[in-house]
Amino acid sequence: MFSYAWLILIFPLLGFAGLSWFGDKIPKKTSGYAGCATVGGSFLLSLMALSDLLSLDPEKRLGHVVTLYQWISSGSFKLDLAILVDPLSVFMFLIVTGVGFVIHVYSIGYMEEDPEFSRFFSYLNFFIFSMLLLVAAADFFFLIVGWAFVGLASYLLIGFWREKTSAVLAARKAFVMNVIGDVGMVIAAFVIFNAFGSISYADVFAAAPDKFLPNDDTVLLITLLLLVGAFAKSAQIPLHTWLPDAMEGPTPVSALIHAATMVTAGVYLIARCHVLYELAPYTMYFIAGIGVITAIFAGSMGMVQYDIKRVIAYSTMSQLGYMFLAVGIGVFSLGMFHLMTHAFFKALLFLAAGSVIHGLNGEQDIRKMGGLRFSMPLTHITFLIGALCLAGFPLTSGFFSKEAIIMSSFHADMGNFVFWGIAVITAGMTAFYIFRVYFYTFLGNKNNPDAHPHESPMIMAVPLIVLSFFALVMGLAAPAVDQFLSPVFGGVVHHYEDATLETIAVFAGLGGILTAALIYMTSHDKLDFAKQALAPLYDLLFNKYYVDEIYDFLIVKPVRAIGAFLEEKGEREGIDRAVDETASQVHGVSRAISIWQSGKVRAYALNMVVGMVTILMFVVFL
Amino acid sequence: MGNQFVLIISSAIFCIGAVGFLIRRNPLIMLMSVELMLNSVNFLLIAYSSFLQTLDGQIFALIIMTVAAAEVVVGLAIILTIFRTRHDLNVDHINVLKG
Repeated sequence: MFSYAWLILIFPLLGFAGLSWFGDKIPKKTSGYAGCATVGGSFLLSLMALSDLLSLDPEKRLGHVVTLYQWISSGSFKLDLAILVDPLSVFMFLIVTGVGFVIHVYSIGYMEEDPEFSRFFSYLNFFIFSMLLLVAAADFFFLIVGWAFVGLASYLLIGFWREKTSAVLAARKAFVMNVIGDVGMVIAAFVIFNAFGSISYADVFAAAPDKFLPNDDTVLLITLLLLVGAFAKSAQIPLHTWLPDAMEGPTPVSALIHAATMVTAGVYLIARCHVLYELAPYTMYFIAGIGVITAIFAGSMGMVQYDIKRVIAYSTMSQLGYMFLAVGIGVFSLGMFHLMTHAFFKALLFLAAGSVIHGLNGEQDIRKMGGLRFSMPLTHITFLIGALCLAGFPLTSGFFSKEAIIMSSFHADMGNFVFWGIAVITAGMTAFYIFRVYFYTFLGNKNNPDAHPHESPMIMAVPLIVLSFFALVMGLAAPAVDQFLSPVFGGVVHHYEDATLETIAVFAGLGGILTAALIYMTSHDKLDFAKQALAPLYDLLFNKYYVDEIYDFLIVKPVRAIGAFLEEKGEREGIDRAVDETASQVHGVSRAISIWQSGKVRAYALNMVVGMVTILMFVVFL
Repeated sequence: MGNQFVLIISSAIFCIGAVGFLIRRNPLIMLMSVELMLNSVNFLLIAYSSFLQTLDGQIFALIIMTVAAAEVVVGLAIILTIFRTRHDLNVDHINVLKG
């Protein structure tokens, strides 16, 4: 059963390898289609895995470990080349390959002009492969391998336009941040092995509840270390600064990172390790806290940015904050459900934004857009749908997933009024900033008379339509998703009904939209007073709370200073000098000895005699 | 003729040879000093051979003589060659084998 599941991973890997080797030799179109076909094939196989899984009884859906062969066997340590097929991994397969496929197709249109088209597609395939490996892993080892590969893939893709300095710097930043997370993961894996004697999920999760009491030190340590990785990948405070910068990459990359792959890994990790996290309520509380803080923090930054992609990037951080809130308060399947709906509407928003950028020949500043609703009608409608979903407009998918989380944040065992309040305020902010972008971009007057916007080609439009459809209707899948994931999380999550709270949350979203309309659809002159009053706050937000500067001051500068000090004192005066001194001493000794090699026969003979006499002395007298 | 006498004579000859080798500058004399040292050993071997009533020592002595003769031939050939090229036989000036 599921022996074909390996192919889900193999296809994108083959695509990556093939396009890397032969990409330059085949026509652009072919490499684009090949790149799409591999991911499409994986998607079909994922569907097959889904239907096979559904044909089983719910209680038998867990624990299908498909082993290729035993890779390492050393003492008590065993490591199989194995993947895990269960509802959670299949759920992620579907999102990664499904949304990934749509983004691949869109990329054919978006990257058409790029001379390094095949390189782009080989990286994209590598990204999909890495993410699938991360999701499919049946043990912490391959989880970390996939985890690190995803970081590498993001590095390659963010820095894809390598002639752009800012892109290269952003790629480096993302990589460094991710490696910080990887280190946490690796240490966590060692702690897990130390505690359980195994790193396979099955062994660890089966042993954990009997082995540890809740909030045991070891469990807290493991969960917190894993969290370092999760925070780094999912751009949660304080490891978030790479995500907005990652917008330097091509737009499909942003869509892929933000919607289907990388940033969701943190949420997936916590959901996957929920057995451990349930044993560590303190950590859960911490996750939920960081989640809401990130949500409102990122949301507030998104309100003032002028780069269309940056706003959406902050919104990703903010929505991931919601997901972390959900898993932090223990409603794992709601977190996963929001992950799914978010994948659709965030991919949609990014691709629509990409369509705008494409139509305006690379313009990303929303102040220079405006009035695009006539020239780009399809992009306009699809962006509006994405914005409505993100804002949680009633009956869109974002509404269902976000409402459920907001409800739970108050009513769930670990929820409280503060979480709920921040979540609601963030919902309002979210609606505000995304509609601010919408009004700026599509309504109003044309702000840049030189631009000649044009609608994108069909190959970009069709993915937008497909994503819009799913973004609108996937909310209806909420009960099905809960049901499907319930074997993994041990039961169906309780949906709380509370008309008052629900109304407040909905009105927060609508209020955000209305405020945006009031500010940006009316004459700007009336706002001068408010602008002046809020100027300091605005500066603070516009500069992203100066987090980059704080890091620069607290970490980069001291590290640089230590580096300079070490170079001067340690490198030059310590290591270099030690090496040089050793060399010169050896030189001196050899010079001293070389006097003996005089070539004078009688001197040699004297040495021999002296040596002989000395040895005789030893033999006779000792 | 006691063993002690043989030992004293032998070591005396050996020391004369060694000191001669060390202090003389003429390679021919040095070769002769080497012969002295070798012969002191031969003397010892033969004395012990007779004392122990075996032939081993005498055989060794014959071998040493043969080898010494061969060495001297080689040494003399080298010395002759050096003298022909340099017209000088002071060993302190001959340091071309310096490592």
